[in-house]
Amino acid sequence: MTTSALPLVLLGVTAFSLATTLEPWFQSWAGSRTGSGSLIQVALGDGRKLFARHLYLKADAYFHNGYYPTIYDSKEGFEKAHVSEDRHQDGEHGEETEDFLGQPKDWLDRFSRHFFPARHTHLGDSGCGHSCCQRAKENHEEHHNCEHEHDHDSDEKSAAGLEREVLPWLRFSTALDPEQPEMYVVGAFHLRRSLNKPKEAEQFLREGLQANPGHPEILFALGRIQNEVHQDIGRARNLWELALRNWKKAEAAKTEPDVLLHAQLLSNLAKLEETQRNYARALEYLAELKGFSPHPEVLQGWIDDLKKQVASPPTP
Amino acid sequence: MNTAATPVQPLKLPDLAAPAALGGSWNNILAIAGVVIKELCRRKDFYVLFVLTALITLAMGSVSFFSEDKIVRYVKELCLFLIWIASLVIAITTAARQIPVERENRTLFPLLAKPVTRNQLLLGKFLGCWLAVGLSLLAFYVFFGVIAGTKEHEWPVLNYFQAATLHWFMLGVVCAMTLLGSLVFAAPSSNNTITFAVSVGILLVGRHLNKIALKLEEPTQTVVYAIYFALPHLELFDVRDLIVHNWGLIRWDIWAAALAYAAVYAALFLGLACLRFRHRALN
Repeated sequence: MTTSALPLVLLGVTAFSLATTLEPWFQSWAGSRTGSGSLIQVALGDGRKLFARHLYLKADAYFHNGYYPTIYDSKEGFEKAHVSEDRHQDGEHGEETEDFLGQPKDWLDRFSRHFFPARHTHLGDSGCGHSCCQRAKENHEEHHNCEHEHDHDSDEKSAAGLEREVLPWLRFSTALDPEQPEMYVVGAFHLRRSLNKPKEAEQFLREGLQANPGHPEILFALGRIQNEVHQDIGRARNLWELALRNWKKAEAAKTEPDVLLHAQLLSNLAKLEETQRNYARALEYLAELKGFSPHPEVLQGWIDDLKKQVASPPTP
Repeated sequence: MNTAATPVQPLKLPDLAAPAALGGSWNNILAIAGVVIKELCRRKDFYVLFVLTALITLAMGSVSFFSEDKIVRYVKELCLFLIWIASLVIAITTAARQIPVERENRTLFPLLAKPVTRNQLLLGKFLGCWLAVGLSLLAFYVFFGVIAGTKEHEWPVLNYFQAATLHWFMLGVVCAMTLLGSLVFAAPSSNNTITFAVSVGILLVGRHLNKIALKLEEPTQTVVYAIYFALPHLELFDVRDLIVHNWGLIRWDIWAAALAYAAVYAALFLGLACLRFRHRALN
């Protein structure tokens, strides 16, 4: 009895000793997930980032009413999620090139296209889903000559605010991977522009800022809310100036910096300073913007106007 | 001018026994189908899957995003996804056990000792499975309609009817395929797994096989393209995206053609199953 119990006691003591040694090491180990308060992070680890990306693409698919390329289709024109844009920048011609299905390859392919979304449309486009009604696809005038029996005016009313449908996927996506600032910016954009919910948009951006401290894109979006919704010029200026400083720290050294954000920050700051009659500051921002803008002549015209205003005495 | 004398056909009297035999066959098929439906009602599979679908849908539907209570499409998508999974499981497991269980319990012999042919038995089993699956689909789609309607305040009944009928006919093909599998594979478990894998594979890849084929070299291209045309395109009947994103109705002639397409494949699989069953030793 005593002889057989001794090995068990020895094993117990060894296990206890090992636990006292390993536990502190495990707590300080970089790969430990115990530090995270998020159940998802503990369960999925870094794999959650893959799911987060998938959910973000799901939001983009919803933005296109289900018309979205699979891994077997050509993704030309769909490399960047369109949900982050108000509408396609290239207009009609751009959308024609984004017809990833192309011509039907055989009779079965032609037949099957009746059973899934096979036309390029967007959330918020009014109409019945027929090609004559799709503003994104066809000429706007055809929409009014639609022969299908439904009320287009009521369709337009019901189509308003449909962008809300992308929000759950953006929320799930940020829950899985909070370190994706683009998702916060896109979500806030739709909340503010399509759903007229600036308070929720600001809250969402603040969550994003907590997860991505000092991110210039989020700061820029927050500044727009302060400027356009709250008309708080001082806060907007502070946020944009901070965003500009952070952009220069993070992006300037990159081989392919986010020039669009840089240009947006400079042009918005210039406009803000112009409205506040700080022409010298506005001219500084415009001079910087002119350095890399594809349309320097337009900016030169703006600069000339500002210089005239500086030269002319202020009107009483 | 054809001057050849045509042989005189003997006058045939109408066979009065034929309609009676046909009626008898139909009665046999209906009786067997009725037993299958009762069996599904007694089993817990459907109830468990229905409650699970309802609970998950209601839980997800109760989540609020940015105080926006009109968000509905993700709930519709989730609910339809669960319905598809549940209906596939019900259809395959119900059809897969019919013949093996009859054989295992030795009830197949007394059944065939009665004036019931093997073909009638198989057709009865198929009809029972298909109707039973149809009943469960009805419950699922009513639940879906209620959930979507209460959130959207719209009732596109015709769209739901098209989606449900297409889904039902697709499950008819799956039932027929599973019945054929139950006569080919040794055990219901292997039949379940293989049929489920094949069905899900077709649903996921079927639509894209032609694109894959076009990227291949000959003769593989022809082989893959032949497979593309030969296999039953179950994904044709998956109109979930049209329902979720509120697209318009499918043209009724196209809808009817899809149902006919499913009927042809179901008949083909049933024909093969009848042939196999006829030449198979029961013990």
